[in-house]
Amino acid sequence: MIVRIHRDKGERYDDYNVEISDGMTVLELLFRIQENIDQTLAFRYSCRGAICGSCAVLANGRPVLACKTPLSRVTDLKNGGYVSLPSKTELPAGGILLEPAPKLPVIRDLIVDWEPFFGEYRKLVPVLKENNNHPEKEHLVGKDESRELEKYTNCILCALCWSVCPVVNEVNGYPGPAALAKLFRFYLDPREPNGIKRLSLADNEAGWWACDFYTNCRKVCPKGVPPNAAIGRARKLLKNEEVGK
Amino acid sequence: MGEKDIYRHDVIVIGGGLAGLRAAVEACDCGADTAVVSKVYPLRSHSVAAQGGINAALGNSPAAKDDTWEKHAFDTIKGSVYLADQDAVEVLCREAPETVLELEHWGTVFSRNKEGRIAQRPFGGAGVPRTCYAADRTGHNLLNTLFEQANSRGIKFYNEYFVTSLVVDEEICRGCITLDLQSGKVYGFASNSLILATGGYGMIYDHSTNSLINTADGMALACNAGAQLKDMEFVQFHPTTLYGSNILISEGARGEGAYLVNSEGDRFMARFAPQANELAPRDIVARSIMKEIEAGLGFDGGYVHLDLRHLGAEKIKERLPGIRQIAMDFADLDPVEVPIPVQPGQHYSMGGIDVGIDGETGVKGLYAVGECACISVHGANRLGGNSLLDTLVFGKKVGKKACNERNGEHVSAVKDVMSREINRLQGLLNNKGEGFATLMSEMKKTMFDRFGIFRDEDSMNEGLRSLNDLGKRYKQIVVKGSGKVFNQSLVRVLELGYMLDIAEVVAVSAIERKESRGSHFRTDFPDRSDDQYLKHTLIKTDKGQKRSIDFSPVKLGLFPVKGDGY
Repeated sequence: MIVRIHRDKGERYDDYNVEISDGMTVLELLFRIQENIDQTLAFRYSCRGAICGSCAVLANGRPVLACKTPLSRVTDLKNGGYVSLPSKTELPAGGILLEPAPKLPVIRDLIVDWEPFFGEYRKLVPVLKENNNHPEKEHLVGKDESRELEKYTNCILCALCWSVCPVVNEVNGYPGPAALAKLFRFYLDPREPNGIKRLSLADNEAGWWACDFYTNCRKVCPKGVPPNAAIGRARKLLKNEEVGK
Repeated sequence: MGEKDIYRHDVIVIGGGLAGLRAAVEACDCGADTAVVSKVYPLRSHSVAAQGGINAALGNSPAAKDDTWEKHAFDTIKGSVYLADQDAVEVLCREAPETVLELEHWGTVFSRNKEGRIAQRPFGGAGVPRTCYAADRTGHNLLNTLFEQANSRGIKFYNEYFVTSLVVDEEICRGCITLDLQSGKVYGFASNSLILATGGYGMIYDHSTNSLINTADGMALACNAGAQLKDMEFVQFHPTTLYGSNILISEGARGEGAYLVNSEGDRFMARFAPQANELAPRDIVARSIMKEIEAGLGFDGGYVHLDLRHLGAEKIKERLPGIRQIAMDFADLDPVEVPIPVQPGQHYSMGGIDVGIDGETGVKGLYAVGECACISVHGANRLGGNSLLDTLVFGKKVGKKACNERNGEHVSAVKDVMSREINRLQGLLNNKGEGFATLMSEMKKTMFDRFGIFRDEDSMNEGLRSLNDLGKRYKQIVVKGSGKVFNQSLVRVLELGYMLDIAEVVAVSAIERKESRGSHFRTDFPDRSDDQYLKHTLIKTDKGQKRSIDFSPVKLGLFPVKGDGY
C-alpha cells in the first residue's frame, strides 16, 4: 500500500510502499515505516491505548487518534459520519495520506506544537477551588452527579477538537472546545463553591459566546466528550443569571 | 555552550507521572523552586493508563466496615511473599486513607456508592473491598488532578526534554543533562536535589501492557551514577492483557466478578486457588493461565477467555466503560456479548532504585520514587491498587525531603558533563553499524522467552549471553538522524541503551535468586527458600561499568513470615 506522509514543515510529502497486516492501526503503520524503512520519520506516541492523548493525526483528511484507528477505517470511503478536512496534497490511489493535526504550528513531520492549546487551557485556571475545613472527611457526591462530571473528566486533552473547530484561530483568544469543557466541569463539580462565578471567566465575545455550534468537537472526540453541550448549558446559565439581576 | 544553556532550580523532578507530580507539588509547597523535566507532556505519562484503582482502608463498603490499615498491611505483605520491608508497608497503608482523601479534596472525581462516599471494589489478594476507583480510569483522573494542582502552583515544566545523563560530582548529584527534543539543543540543569520519577521498563519485554515510553530511563541513569538497584528479578506479569496488543484489561473486571474460562468452558482458577479463585494475587493467576495454555486448554494462539457477560450490560457500562471501549476499539468485540481473549503480559517492576522511606538513594542529592524506585513495599509481587498509592504516599515524602536538601548548586560540574555529553551524542551520529530496530526486537524476545513467567538456569544463562552480545553490537549502533529537530531516531537509540543496561540487571538478578517467590518462578528451584533467600538482591555498577551483587536483609516486625496459600 502507498502511504504518503507530510514531512518536515510541509515542504514535501514522502511516499512509502508498506506491507500491511490484518487489523493494523495507523500507529502500527507509522512504527513499521520508522523501524523498517525510514528512521527519520517523527510522530508522537505513548500509551497506544487511546488514553494518553499523544497521537492525534489527520488520516485521509479525518482527524483521528492514530493508535485506535485501524487502516480499514481510514480507507473505507462509505463510512460516513466523519468530519473531513481538506488536505494540502492528493490522496494516493487506494492508499493512505497522513498529515499533522491542523490549527497548531507544525514542528516536524506529524508533530505539532501543543503550546497554543495548553496555553488556552491554563488561562481558564482548571483546578478545583474548594474551601473545606475537614480534610479528614470526604465530600459526599451523588452517584448521578459523579456520572455527569465523568462526561467531561473523560477528556484526554488530545487537541483533536481544537483541530476541527472552525472558530479556533478565527476568533482571537478563543479558548477552544476542550478548555471550555474543562471550565464547565469545574462549574458542575458539587465540591466547587464558586458556582456560576466560575463560568464568568469565559463570559465574553471570545469565550462561551464565540462558539458557532458546528459540533465538530463532539463528532471527533475519541472519548465521547460533548464540549458543545457544555458551551450550550453555560450560555443558558449565564443568560438566566443576567435576567435574574 | 554558555550560562544561559544551564537552568537552575532547587528541586528538579524527572518524570511527570503521578509520583513526579506529587513530589513536585510537595517540594513547591515546602518553598522550593521546583521544575519538572519530562520527555513527554506530563499527561502522556504512563500513570494515565492505570485503570482499576487505589487501595485505602476507608471501610466505605458494607463488606469492609471493619477494615483497618493493619489488614491492608497484612494483605500487602502476604502478597509480597514476605519480601516487602514491613516498616515501609506500614507507612504506605497507614497513610493511604489521608492520601486518597487529599486527592479527593484536590478535585479527583471518584465513583461513588449509594451514600455518596468514595466507592470501593474487591481486588486480588485483598480480604475486603478496599480499592477506591474512578470507573476504570482511576489513573487518568488522578493524573489530571495532580497536573491541575501543579499548574496552579506555577511549577515550571520542561516538556519533551530527554535526560541523557545525571551529573554526579564528589559523590553528590548536581543535576542532569538533557536534549531538548523540539530544538535538538543540549541543556544542563543545576539543582540542589534531583528526584527520579521515570516509571518502569516495560519496553524491554515483548508483550507488555506498558506505554511505549517506558524504557527504563531513570533506573539506568541512577545505576550508571553509582546508585544501587534492588530486587530487579521481580517482574510482574499481569494475568489479563488483551490478546494481540497486550493492552491492559483491569483487575477491576475480576473485582466486579468476571470469570476466567478455558477452552472447555471451565473456570480453572478454582483448581489453582480454591478460596480466592479469580482474585488470587497476580503472580498466581498469571502462572495458572500459562499452565492452562501449556496443557492445551487455551485457545489457538495462546489465550483464555475473560467472561464478563453474566455481569450484565448495565454494570459493565457503569463500572467498566473503559474496558468495554478498549475491547471494542482494539479487538472489535463487545464484552456485553462475547468474552474477551486475554493472555498474561509484562506489567510492572517490583524492583527498582534502592531507596529509603524518604526516597533517598545511596548518592547524596539523588532521590527516586514510584515504579522506578524500590522502597520496598511490593516485595516479590505487587497487589493491584497499591502502585497508585505508592506513587502518592512516597511522592509526598520525597518532595518534602528533597526540598530540605542543601548541597548548593555546582554549575561548573554541570558544564563539564554537558560538554562530554555533546561530544557523545555527536559521536553516535557518526557510527557505522546496524539500526536500533533489530537490536530492540531481539532484546524484547530474549527477555520474554528467557526471563518471563517461568525461568530456569540454562535458559537464563543463554539469555544473558544474548544480552551481552546485544550490548556489544549496541556500541556500533547507527543513528540515521536527519536534522536536530525531534530526532526520534536518536531518542530511540538512547532509550535502547538504557533498556539494555537494565535488561542485563534483571537477568543477573534472576539468575542469582535460586528459589521461587512471587513473580520470580524457577522451574529448577520451584520452592520458596526463606532460609537462603528472605533477602533483597542488590546490584551496583562501579565507574568501570563492572557490576557487583550484594544482599540486604528484609525488615520484618509487623507480621511473622508464613505460608502463601490463597
